[in-house]
Amino acid sequence: MSTAYKHSHAGDGHDHKAAPMVEEITDYEVLEIAVRELAIEHGLFTAEDHRKFTEWAESIGPAAGSRLVAKAWTDPAFKARLLEDGTKACKEIGVDWAEPTGSGTPSDYTNFRVLEDTPTLHHVIVCTLCSCYPRPLLGMSPEWYRSTNYRRRLVRWPREVLAEFGLILPPEVEIRIEDSNQKCRFMVFPVRPEGTENWTEEQLAAIVTRDCMIGVALPRPGRTADVHPVHEARRPVHSAPLHGKAAE
Amino acid sequence: MKQNETLRTPNTQGRFKVGDRVQVRDMPNMFYTRTQNYVRGVTGTIAACTYKDLIPEDEAFNYDGRLEQYYIVRFRQKDLWGEYPFGNDTLQTEFPDHWLEPVSN
Repeated sequence: MSTAYKHSHAGDGHDHKAAPMVEEITDYEVLEIAVRELAIEHGLFTAEDHRKFTEWAESIGPAAGSRLVAKAWTDPAFKARLLEDGTKACKEIGVDWAEPTGSGTPSDYTNFRVLEDTPTLHHVIVCTLCSCYPRPLLGMSPEWYRSTNYRRRLVRWPREVLAEFGLILPPEVEIRIEDSNQKCRFMVFPVRPEGTENWTEEQLAAIVTRDCMIGVALPRPGRTADVHPVHEARRPVHSAPLHGKAAE
Repeated sequence: MKQNETLRTPNTQGRFKVGDRVQVRDMPNMFYTRTQNYVRGVTGTIAACTYKDLIPEDEAFNYDGRLEQYYIVRFRQKDLWGEYPFGNDTLQTEFPDHWLEPVSN
Protein backbone atom coordinates (compact mmCIF):
# COMPACT_ATOMS: atom_id res chain seq x y z
CA MET A 1 0.00 0.00 0.00
CA SER A 2 1.49 3.34 -0.97
CA THR A 3 1.50 6.05 1.62
CA ALA A 4 -0.26 9.27 0.87
CA TYR A 5 2.55 11.33 2.36
CA LYS A 6 6.22 10.53 2.22
CA HIS A 7 8.04 12.92 4.54
CA SER A 8 9.12 12.10 8.06
CA HIS A 9 7.73 13.67 11.18
CA ALA A 10 10.99 14.01 12.98
CA GLY A 11 10.77 17.11 15.12
CA ASP A 12 8.21 19.05 13.14
CA GLY A 13 5.56 18.82 15.85
CA HIS A 14 2.44 19.15 13.74
CA ASP A 15 -0.17 16.71 12.56
CA HIS A 16 -0.94 15.57 9.00
CA LYS A 17 -4.05 13.96 7.66
CA ALA A 18 -3.44 11.42 4.94
CA ALA A 19 -5.10 12.31 1.63
CA PRO A 20 -7.97 9.94 0.93
CA MET A 21 -7.14 7.09 -1.43
CA VAL A 22 -10.55 7.26 -3.08
CA GLU A 23 -12.71 10.30 -3.68
CA GLU A 24 -15.68 10.17 -1.38
CA ILE A 25 -19.19 10.44 -2.68
CA THR A 26 -22.15 11.52 -0.60
CA ASP A 27 -25.46 9.72 -0.23
CA TYR A 28 -27.18 12.55 -2.08
CA GLU A 29 -24.89 12.20 -5.07
CA VAL A 30 -25.64 8.49 -5.22
CA LEU A 31 -29.35 9.30 -5.02
CA GLU A 32 -29.10 11.85 -7.80
CA ILE A 33 -27.34 9.42 -10.10
CA ALA A 34 -29.94 6.74 -9.38
CA VAL A 35 -32.90 9.04 -9.97
CA ARG A 36 -31.34 10.48 -13.10
CA GLU A 37 -30.67 7.04 -14.57
CA LEU A 38 -34.23 5.95 -13.81
CA ALA A 39 -35.61 9.08 -15.41
CA ILE A 40 -33.56 8.52 -18.55
CA GLU A 41 -34.60 4.87 -18.63
CA HIS A 42 -38.26 5.92 -18.39
CA GLY A 43 -37.89 8.50 -21.11
CA LEU A 44 -38.55 11.59 -18.98
CA PHE A 45 -35.53 13.23 -20.57
CA THR A 46 -32.45 12.12 -22.44
CA ALA A 47 -28.88 12.06 -21.21
CA GLU A 48 -28.18 14.78 -23.74
CA ASP A 49 -30.94 16.97 -22.25
CA HIS A 50 -29.41 16.48 -18.84
CA ARG A 51 -25.91 17.32 -20.01
CA LYS A 52 -27.08 20.52 -21.73
CA PHE A 53 -29.00 21.64 -18.67
CA THR A 54 -26.14 20.84 -16.30
CA GLU A 55 -23.67 22.76 -18.45
CA TRP A 56 -25.95 25.74 -18.51
CA ALA A 57 -26.66 25.62 -14.78
CA GLU A 58 -22.97 25.38 -13.94
CA SER A 59 -21.94 28.09 -16.38
CA ILE A 60 -24.12 30.92 -15.19
CA GLY A 61 -22.93 33.26 -12.49
CA PRO A 62 -24.21 36.54 -11.10
CA ALA A 63 -23.22 38.61 -14.15
CA ALA A 64 -26.79 39.02 -15.40
CA GLY A 65 -27.93 40.27 -12.01
CA SER A 66 -25.07 42.76 -11.85
CA ARG A 67 -25.98 44.05 -15.32
CA LEU A 68 -29.60 44.38 -14.31
CA VAL A 69 -28.74 46.56 -11.31
CA ALA A 70 -26.20 48.65 -13.24
CA LYS A 71 -28.71 49.29 -16.02
CA ALA A 72 -31.41 50.30 -13.54
CA TRP A 73 -28.99 52.62 -11.76
CA THR A 74 -28.22 54.48 -14.98
CA ASP A 75 -31.62 54.37 -16.72
CA PRO A 76 -34.55 55.61 -14.57
CA ALA A 77 -37.15 54.48 -17.13
CA PHE A 78 -35.73 50.95 -17.05
CA LYS A 79 -35.69 51.04 -13.27
CA ALA A 80 -39.39 51.94 -13.28
CA ARG A 81 -40.14 49.01 -15.63
CA LEU A 82 -38.06 46.71 -13.41
CA LEU A 83 -39.99 47.66 -10.30
CA GLU A 84 -43.30 47.33 -12.14
CA ASP A 85 -42.69 43.87 -13.63
CA GLY A 86 -39.41 42.18 -12.79
CA THR A 87 -39.89 39.09 -14.95
CA LYS A 88 -40.61 41.16 -18.06
CA ALA A 89 -37.73 43.58 -17.44
CA CYS A 90 -35.26 40.69 -17.28
CA LYS A 91 -35.95 39.97 -20.94
CA GLU A 92 -34.42 43.34 -21.78
CA ILE A 93 -31.07 42.06 -20.50
CA GLY A 94 -31.42 38.70 -22.18
CA VAL A 95 -32.82 36.57 -19.35
CA ASP A 96 -36.11 34.84 -20.05
CA TRP A 97 -37.44 33.23 -16.86
CA ALA A 98 -39.85 31.13 -18.88
CA GLU A 99 -37.04 29.64 -20.96
CA PRO A 100 -33.87 30.26 -18.98
CA THR A 101 -31.76 27.69 -20.80
CA GLY A 102 -33.03 28.66 -24.20
CA SER A 103 -33.58 24.97 -24.77
CA GLY A 104 -37.15 24.57 -23.71
CA THR A 105 -36.88 23.77 -20.03
CA PRO A 106 -39.01 26.43 -18.39
CA SER A 107 -38.76 26.99 -14.71
CA ASP A 108 -41.97 26.81 -12.78
CA TYR A 109 -40.94 29.78 -10.69
CA THR A 110 -41.27 32.72 -12.96
CA ASN A 111 -42.46 35.53 -10.75
CA PHE A 112 -39.36 37.65 -10.26
CA ARG A 113 -39.30 40.75 -8.09
CA VAL A 114 -36.56 43.11 -7.05
CA LEU A 115 -36.50 44.43 -3.51
CA GLU A 116 -35.53 48.08 -3.62
CA ASP A 117 -33.26 49.24 -0.83
CA THR A 118 -33.29 52.84 0.40
CA PRO A 119 -30.96 54.57 2.85
CA THR A 120 -33.38 53.55 5.65
CA LEU A 121 -34.47 50.13 4.38
CA HIS A 122 -32.18 47.17 3.75
CA HIS A 123 -33.43 43.86 2.37
CA VAL A 124 -31.86 40.45 2.80
CA ILE A 125 -33.10 37.22 1.23
CA VAL A 126 -33.35 33.70 2.56
CA CYS A 127 -35.38 30.58 1.91
CA THR A 128 -35.99 28.96 5.29
CA LEU A 129 -37.80 25.98 3.77
CA CYS A 130 -35.13 24.98 1.26
CA SER A 131 -32.82 27.31 -0.67
CA CYS A 132 -34.85 29.05 -3.36
CA TYR A 133 -32.64 31.43 -5.29
CA PRO A 134 -32.97 33.52 -8.49
CA ARG A 135 -30.72 31.21 -10.50
CA PRO A 136 -31.38 32.60 -13.99
CA LEU A 137 -29.88 35.90 -12.77
CA LEU A 138 -27.38 34.89 -10.13
CA GLY A 139 -26.31 31.38 -11.09
CA MET A 140 -25.85 28.70 -8.47
CA SER A 141 -26.33 29.72 -4.85
CA PRO A 142 -23.30 29.72 -2.55
CA GLU A 143 -22.99 26.84 -0.08
CA TRP A 144 -23.61 29.04 2.93
CA TYR A 145 -26.96 30.20 1.53
CA ARG A 146 -28.18 26.58 1.51
CA SER A 147 -26.90 25.81 5.00
CA THR A 148 -29.32 25.33 7.88
CA ASN A 149 -27.05 27.68 9.79
CA TYR A 150 -27.97 30.59 7.52
CA ARG A 151 -31.56 29.60 6.88
CA ARG A 152 -32.54 29.17 10.50
CA ARG A 153 -30.55 31.98 12.02
CA LEU A 154 -31.10 34.82 9.55
CA VAL A 155 -34.81 35.20 10.27
CA ARG A 156 -34.32 35.19 14.04
CA TRP A 157 -31.03 37.08 14.43
CA PRO A 158 -30.55 38.99 11.17
CA ARG A 159 -28.22 41.62 12.57
CA GLU A 160 -25.94 39.05 14.17
CA VAL A 161 -25.77 36.99 10.98
CA LEU A 162 -25.13 40.05 8.83
CA ALA A 163 -22.39 41.12 11.24
CA GLU A 164 -20.71 37.76 10.60
CA PHE A 165 -20.60 38.77 6.95
CA GLY A 166 -19.06 42.06 8.00
CA LEU A 167 -22.26 44.10 7.49
CA ILE A 168 -23.40 46.18 10.46
CA LEU A 169 -26.29 48.61 10.03
CA PRO A 170 -27.53 51.20 12.51
CA PRO A 171 -30.73 50.34 14.43
CA GLU A 172 -32.68 53.09 12.68
CA VAL A 173 -32.27 51.29 9.35
CA GLU A 174 -35.11 48.83 8.86
CA ILE A 175 -33.83 45.38 8.03
CA ARG A 176 -36.48 43.57 6.04
CA ILE A 177 -35.99 39.85 5.55
CA GLU A 178 -37.63 38.23 2.56
CA ASP A 179 -38.34 34.56 3.18
CA SER A 180 -38.93 33.30 -0.35
CA ASN A 181 -41.16 30.36 0.43
CA GLN A 182 -43.37 30.24 -2.65
CA LYS A 183 -42.98 30.91 -6.36
CA CYS A 184 -41.71 34.46 -6.24
CA ARG A 185 -37.99 34.81 -6.73
CA PHE A 186 -36.21 37.85 -5.36
CA MET A 187 -33.08 39.90 -5.71
CA VAL A 188 -31.96 42.89 -3.69
CA PHE A 189 -31.71 46.13 -5.64
CA PRO A 190 -29.08 48.00 -3.63
CA VAL A 191 -28.71 51.74 -3.18
CA ARG A 192 -26.18 53.15 -5.64
CA PRO A 193 -23.17 54.06 -3.49
CA GLU A 194 -21.45 57.42 -3.23
CA GLY A 195 -18.39 57.97 -5.38
CA THR A 196 -19.81 56.36 -8.53
CA GLU A 197 -20.93 59.50 -10.33
CA ASN A 198 -20.43 59.29 -14.11
CA TRP A 199 -19.43 55.62 -13.94
CA THR A 200 -20.24 53.44 -16.94
CA GLU A 201 -22.63 50.52 -16.62
CA GLU A 202 -19.64 48.18 -16.81
CA GLN A 203 -17.89 49.89 -13.91
CA LEU A 204 -21.07 49.81 -11.87
CA ALA A 205 -21.76 46.16 -12.63
CA ALA A 206 -18.27 45.26 -11.35
CA ILE A 207 -19.14 46.41 -7.81
CA VAL A 208 -22.55 44.72 -7.72
CA THR A 209 -21.47 41.31 -6.47
CA ARG A 210 -23.57 38.29 -5.66
CA ASP A 211 -23.50 39.04 -1.92
CA CYS A 212 -24.90 42.54 -2.62
CA MET A 213 -27.83 41.03 -4.49
CA ILE A 214 -28.60 38.57 -1.70
CA GLY A 215 -28.34 41.39 0.82
CA VAL A 216 -25.39 40.34 2.98
CA ALA A 217 -23.12 43.07 1.61
CA LEU A 218 -23.37 46.65 0.39
CA PRO A 219 -21.77 47.70 -2.89
CA ARG A 220 -19.05 50.31 -2.79
CA PRO A 221 -16.27 51.55 -5.08
CA GLY A 222 -13.28 49.20 -5.01
CA ARG A 223 -15.22 46.23 -3.72
CA THR A 224 -15.37 43.84 -6.67
CA ALA A 225 -15.29 40.47 -4.91
CA ASP A 226 -17.18 38.71 -2.12
CA VAL A 227 -14.66 37.89 0.58
CA HIS A 228 -15.91 36.64 3.92
CA PRO A 229 -14.12 37.14 7.24
CA VAL A 230 -12.76 33.78 8.33
CA HIS A 231 -13.73 32.86 11.88
CA GLU A 232 -11.33 30.42 13.44
CA ALA A 233 -13.02 27.39 14.94
CA ARG A 234 -12.88 27.64 18.70
CA ARG A 235 -12.70 23.94 19.38
CA PRO A 236 -11.62 22.37 16.13
CA VAL A 237 -12.16 18.67 15.83
CA HIS A 238 -9.35 16.72 14.25
CA SER A 239 -9.96 13.21 12.94
CA ALA A 240 -7.77 10.53 14.48
CA PRO A 241 -4.74 10.17 12.17
CA LEU A 242 -4.24 6.89 10.33
CA HIS A 243 -0.94 5.96 11.88
CA GLY A 244 -1.95 5.66 15.50
CA LYS A 245 -0.62 8.92 16.87
CA ALA A 246 -2.67 10.23 19.76
CA ALA A 247 -5.26 12.76 18.67
CA GLU A 248 -4.61 16.27 19.97
CA MET B 1 -65.09 31.53 4.55
CA LYS B 2 -68.84 31.87 4.05
CA GLN B 3 -71.56 29.64 5.41
CA ASN B 4 -72.09 27.99 2.02
CA GLU B 5 -68.41 27.26 1.51
CA THR B 6 -65.81 24.75 2.60
CA LEU B 7 -62.07 24.79 2.14
CA ARG B 8 -62.66 22.92 -1.10
CA THR B 9 -64.81 25.68 -2.58
CA PRO B 10 -62.87 27.30 -5.42
CA ASN B 11 -61.42 30.55 -4.22
CA THR B 12 -60.03 32.44 -7.16
CA GLN B 13 -61.25 35.78 -5.86
CA GLY B 14 -58.71 36.84 -3.29
CA ARG B 15 -60.21 38.21 -0.13
CA PHE B 16 -57.48 40.74 0.63
CA LYS B 17 -55.87 43.85 -0.76
CA VAL B 18 -52.61 45.67 -0.01
CA GLY B 19 -52.71 47.19 3.46
CA ASP B 20 -55.18 44.73 4.99
CA ARG B 21 -54.30 43.28 8.36
CA VAL B 22 -54.27 39.48 8.35
CA GLN B 23 -53.44 36.72 10.78
CA VAL B 24 -51.78 33.47 9.73
CA ARG B 25 -53.96 30.47 10.54
CA ASP B 26 -52.49 27.61 12.46
CA MET B 27 -54.01 24.71 10.59
CA PRO B 28 -52.86 21.12 10.79
CA ASN B 29 -50.91 20.20 7.67
CA MET B 30 -50.58 16.60 6.66
CA PHE B 31 -47.20 15.75 5.12
CA TYR B 32 -46.55 19.02 3.34
CA THR B 33 -47.00 22.75 3.61
CA ARG B 34 -45.06 25.88 2.79
CA THR B 35 -46.47 27.86 5.71
CA GLN B 36 -43.72 28.13 8.24
CA ASN B 37 -44.18 27.37 11.94
CA TYR B 38 -42.71 30.66 13.02
CA VAL B 39 -45.51 32.72 11.47
CA ARG B 40 -48.47 30.70 12.74
CA GLY B 41 -50.91 32.86 14.68
CA VAL B 42 -49.01 36.06 13.95
CA THR B 43 -50.70 39.16 12.51
CA GLY B 44 -49.17 41.10 9.64
CA THR B 45 -50.06 43.39 6.75
CA ILE B 46 -50.61 42.54 3.09
CA ALA B 47 -47.62 44.01 1.25
CA ALA B 48 -48.41 42.73 -2.25
CA CYS B 49 -50.80 40.58 -4.25
CA THR B 50 -48.61 38.36 -6.36
CA TYR B 51 -50.33 35.73 -8.54
CA LYS B 52 -52.96 33.00 -8.57
CA ASP B 53 -51.78 29.43 -8.52
CA LEU B 54 -52.41 26.01 -7.08
CA ILE B 55 -51.88 25.79 -3.35
CA PRO B 56 -48.68 23.96 -2.33
CA GLU B 57 -50.62 21.34 -0.38
CA ASP B 58 -52.36 20.27 -3.60
CA GLU B 59 -49.52 20.77 -6.03
CA ALA B 60 -47.10 18.66 -4.03
CA PHE B 61 -49.34 15.65 -4.51
CA ASN B 62 -50.10 16.39 -8.15
CA TYR B 63 -53.71 17.23 -7.42
CA ASP B 64 -55.37 19.63 -9.75
CA GLY B 65 -57.33 21.92 -7.62
CA ARG B 66 -58.25 25.30 -6.55
CA LEU B 67 -56.28 28.27 -7.69
CA GLU B 68 -55.82 30.81 -4.96
CA GLN B 69 -54.59 34.36 -4.78
CA TYR B 70 -51.14 34.56 -3.19
CA TYR B 71 -49.98 37.45 -1.02
CA ILE B 72 -46.76 38.69 0.45
CA VAL B 73 -47.42 39.50 4.10
CA ARG B 74 -45.16 41.74 6.15
CA PHE B 75 -44.63 41.21 9.88
CA ARG B 76 -42.83 43.19 12.53
CA GLN B 77 -39.91 41.15 13.86
CA LYS B 78 -41.05 42.16 17.35
CA ASP B 79 -44.34 40.33 16.71
CA LEU B 80 -42.61 37.20 15.44
CA TRP B 81 -40.05 36.83 18.19
CA GLY B 82 -40.36 37.65 21.86
CA GLU B 83 -37.68 40.08 23.09
CA TYR B 84 -36.55 41.09 19.60
CA PRO B 85 -34.66 44.31 20.32
CA PHE B 86 -34.89 46.34 17.08
CA GLY B 87 -38.25 48.01 16.63
CA ASN B 88 -37.93 48.84 12.95
CA ASP B 89 -37.08 45.40 11.59
CA THR B 90 -39.59 43.42 9.53
CA LEU B 91 -39.92 40.16 7.70
CA GLN B 92 -42.10 39.29 4.77
CA THR B 93 -43.12 35.98 3.30
CA GLU B 94 -45.82 34.60 1.06
CA PHE B 95 -49.09 32.71 1.57
CA PRO B 96 -52.04 31.52 -0.48
CA ASP B 97 -55.39 33.02 0.50
CA HIS B 98 -56.74 30.21 2.67
CA TRP B 99 -53.86 30.45 5.14
CA LEU B 100 -54.90 33.97 6.14
CA GLU B 101 -57.73 35.32 8.27
CA PRO B 102 -58.90 38.93 8.21
CA VAL B 103 -58.20 40.93 11.34
CA SER B 104 -60.05 44.10 12.21
CA ASN B 105 -57.77 46.90 13.38
